[in-house]
Order: sequence, then C-alpha cells, then structure tokens
Amino acid sequence: MSTLDKVREARTSIFGTTVSRETKDGIVFALPYLALFSVFLLYPLLKGFYMSLLDWNSFQPAQSEFIWFENYVRMVQDPMFWRALRGTVVFVVLTVPTMVLLGLGLALGVNREVKGQRLLRFIYFSPYVLTVSVVALIWEELLAPEYGPINYYLGFVMENPPQWLTSFTFAMPSLAVTTMWWLVGFNFVILLAARQGIPEHLYEAARLDGARSWHAFKDITLPQMRPALVFVTIVQFISSFQVFGQPYIMTQGGPGYATETLVMYLYRMAFNDGEFGYAAAIGYFLFAALVVISVVNFKIAGESNE
Amino acid sequence: MSNSTGYTVPGVGRIDEETIRTAGVYVALYGTAALFLVPYAWMLSTSLKPEELVFSTIPHWIPQEVSFQWYAEAVAAAPLLQWLFNTTLIAGATTVIVVIVDSMIAYSLTKLDWPGRRVVFALIMGSFMIPIYVNMVPLYTLITDIGLLNSPLAVILPFSSFPLGVFLFVQFFGDVPDEIIEAARLDGFSSLQIYTRIVLPLMKPAIASLSLFTFVYTWNQFLWPLIVLQDTAKFTLPVGVVTVATARTFQPGMKMAATFLAALPLFVVYLILQEQIVKAVQMQGTTG
Repeated sequence: MSTLDKVREARTSIFGTTVSRETKDGIVFALPYLALFSVFLLYPLLKGFYMSLLDWNSFQPAQSEFIWFENYVRMVQDPMFWRALRGTVVFVVLTVPTMVLLGLGLALGVNREVKGQRLLRFIYFSPYVLTVSVVALIWEELLAPEYGPINYYLGFVMENPPQWLTSFTFAMPSLAVTTMWWLVGFNFVILLAARQGIPEHLYEAARLDGARSWHAFKDITLPQMRPALVFVTIVQFISSFQVFGQPYIMTQGGPGYATETLVMYLYRMAFNDGEFGYAAAIGYFLFAALVVISVVNFKIAGESNE
Repeated sequence: MSNSTGYTVPGVGRIDEETIRTAGVYVALYGTAALFLVPYAWMLSTSLKPEELVFSTIPHWIPQEVSFQWYAEAVAAAPLLQWLFNTTLIAGATTVIVVIVDSMIAYSLTKLDWPGRRVVFALIMGSFMIPIYVNMVPLYTLITDIGLLNSPLAVILPFSSFPLGVFLFVQFFGDVPDEIIEAARLDGFSSLQIYTRIVLPLMKPAIASLSLFTFVYTWNQFLWPLIVLQDTAKFTLPVGVVTVATARTFQPGMKMAATFLAALPLFVVYLILQEQIVKAVQMQGTTG
C-alpha cells in the first residue's frame, strides 16, 4: 500500500459516521456554499412551484387554497398577461438584432488598426458599469419633449418631434435606444476579444489567394466568430426578455400599457396586488419560456453550422 | 501593409478606395464615440446650471455661470452617504462571501474525492440559468419569514448563492495539476493547508476577476433591493436615487446632480480598473 493510499485510508468521523478523511474534508469544504445554495436558491425554486398551485391568501398565507393549475389557466386567459408578453416581445425584437449588429460593427471597427483603440473601448464600454437607475434618469432628461436636447435638434428637421416616453408609438423604441447605450458595450468587448482571437495567418493566406475583404469577412471572420456571436445573442436575448428597470423608472409601463413587460407585470401582481400564487405561476412560465428559447437558439446555431 | 495589394491592381485607384474606407471607419467609430458621450455631457451640464437655463428651450451645453446649488440640494434632500455606505457594504460582503465559499466548494469538487460530488456538481450547474424573477416571490416570503426584510443580508445572502463563481472556479481549478496536490498531501499537508497555501495563491487572477465582477454586479442591482429594502434609510444608491428624482418638486437640476453622485463611485472604479473590469466581463464569454 502506497503512502498516498494510507493517507487516503485514514478514517475519521462526520455526523457520527465513520468515513475517510478525504470524504470528510470534501463535505466540509462544500458545505458553506451548499447551505447558501439550498436555502436561497433551491428551496425557493421548489416552493415557488408549490405557491403557483395556490390561491394565495395574503392575510393568512396558511389558509391559502390548493387549486392545482388554475393560476396557469388564468394566465392564458388574462388579456393583461398577453399585453405584457407582447410588450416584452416588441422590446426583444427592437434590441437583440440591433445590439448584436452594433456590437459587431464596433468590434470589427476597433479591431482595425485605428488610432485611439483604448480610448474608444473605454468610451463604448463605460455605460455598462452604470446602474439602470442612472441610465434611465439621464435618458429621461435627454428625451424630455419640452426642454430636452434631442427634440431641440429634431425641431430643425421636423415639424412636431415625437413625445417619446409618453407616445404610444415611440415609448418602446425610446427604451430600446436607452438600453443600447447602456449595454451594447458587453457585446462589443466579447466580440472584440473573439475577433482578436482569430489567428492572423488565416487572413494572410486569404490575401495571397487574392480574396477581397468581403470574402475574407464571410469565409473567415464570421465562421471564426460564430461561437461568440451565438453566446452574445443568447445573453442579449435573456437580458432583454427580463427587462424591468427601464420601463419601471422611465414609463411605469405606460402610456396606457404600451411598455408593460412580463417582469413588470409579475412585480405588480406580487407586490402591488398581493397575488403571490399567480405571480409565482407567471415566474415559472417565464422560466420555462426562457429555457425553451435558449435550447432553440442553440439548435438553430448548431444546424446552420453544418 | 496596404502597399502590397497595390501591386496587382494597376493605378492609384485601389489605394484611394482603401483610404476612403479607412476614413469612413474613423468617422463611424469617433462619431459613435461622440454620441456615446452626449448623455454624460447633458447630465453634467444640467446638474451645473441655474434653474432658468435648465428649462430653457435652447440647450445650453456649457452654462455661462456654474452653480453647485443642485448638489447641495440633493445632498440635503436625501441620505446619499448612507445609501453609498449601504450599497458598498452589500456589494463588499457579497464579494467576500462569494470568493470564499465558491473557491472552497470548487476545490472540494475538483480535488477531493467524496461520494455524491458528481450529483452535487450537476445540481449546481443545472441551476446556472435560473433567473432572479422566478424565485422573486418565494424568496420574498422566505426573507420575510426569517425576519431579514430591510436587512442588508436580504440582498447579500441570495446574491451569494448564485452559481456563476462556482462554475468559473471549477474551470480554473481543473487546470491545477493533481500531482501538486498529491505531492503536498504526501508531505503531510492537510486539505485546509493545501487550499490556503497552494490552491488560493494559484488562483489569484481568477479570484481578482470574480471579485471585481461580483462587486460591480451586486452594486448595480435594482429590482431585488427595491423589493426587500423598504425603509428609506436601508436603500441602496440605485434604488434611492430614483426616489430623489421622482420627489414632489420636479427639478431636473437636482435630479441630474443626484444621478451624477450615484454614478460617480463606480465610474471612478472603472477609471482606475478599466482593463481588469473588461477582462472580468470577457472571461464570461470564454467560459460561457
């Protein structure tokens, strides 16, 4: 028996059971995180599903009635829920493609041998370190119809500039532009790192073959950056799907319900109306939708690869 | 570099095309950068100009007279320093807890053999994608039941339970050769000694990245602190600054002054640690 085996075989006890020293250490080192994980992540996840089956009684939670899947049935029949889902989809459509493409454009531009790369990167990424409140409050002022600078300059080229945050048509695009400024820096730095990771000799070989830059882009850059593009798209999708702070601060879901989103609806149901059971059901639906969408995204990305 | 392509195509035309394209790239990149700076400029400008210029229909980017009255009013109207303290405490404590418990379990999962570790690992990785809003309602009832409402722990503990750090550390620890660990064990090192003297020192870059990421991420949280921190004195800066802005008297000058003060701490951090913050974010891309 080697020394190492002897070390391994050393016996000790944990919770009154005799185990090997290594087993005990393994459990002891895992325990602090496992405790946090079980109490604050796993337990709420399970409890949330149970709560979604209850007609929640906010005065006496213990008296809540078990109603099976009625909350989910209610959700499907709830026009407000569909409106919030529609708002979320509109926001996703406005932000995901634009922010991936803008991030890609900036990354490819900065990757060229331009002067001031570091300065550009510093500027593009800077809003990403701000909190949503700061971002939302600044953009409220920029978009202010009466005294904001955006409408002042638009006034030169058009008769009546939009009322932005109080306009049914332009409220959601306003939130989308705000979000682009805030978060496009993430896509930009991830895609820049991916572009810089492409070996230069691939381009040199293509150049010797006389490939024009469009072909180099299509045949080398895009395929090489594909994993990063898929990653950025999925992260962007998940992030846009759970948008909350921008509409909560800038429009409160209005005008009417034009900028109501799912997480805002969930928040209102739970913390304004005390409908915990129904809100838990909405949360579970959101989660399921997100998992499905991520899997579909991966599938599509995988297939077009072949 | 661009000269080499000039040989094959006769004439100067090719080079001109290249020059024009380069010029276009510069205009696009620096034009975008200028647009990116506009919101900062407007925030600063509004916070520094007197009331009559704030509501002027013609934008005054650089006010003739600068006044700090809005800053004085913002500081007087809201406990900004208290909120700064709350936010720093929450982000700091979360970062310390995450680094310690995540590195411990990652060490245990990669370098110690114990029954059930694969199941535990699979369980943690399976919860990787769970977003906060799924757990929002049940977690709120839990926090209320154990009496943590309005306590900094109501944010610190749930945010310390996220699996991102475990995931990152497991990837990094996998690269530490088992031979080093085994040799240390033969020399009579206990698991604790191996962890503190060998594993942690080797993990310094990963720890630095995760710390920075966790700190900034927690500092900036809005939705969850909004739910569990309900007393004005307990707010974090992100939650509090919105209440200043939507206070009864509508004053964009004061609103932008408070916003600037709320943005300042992390902006200073970004100025100093730009490279490291960008790296910490890029690290997600390479592991994701």
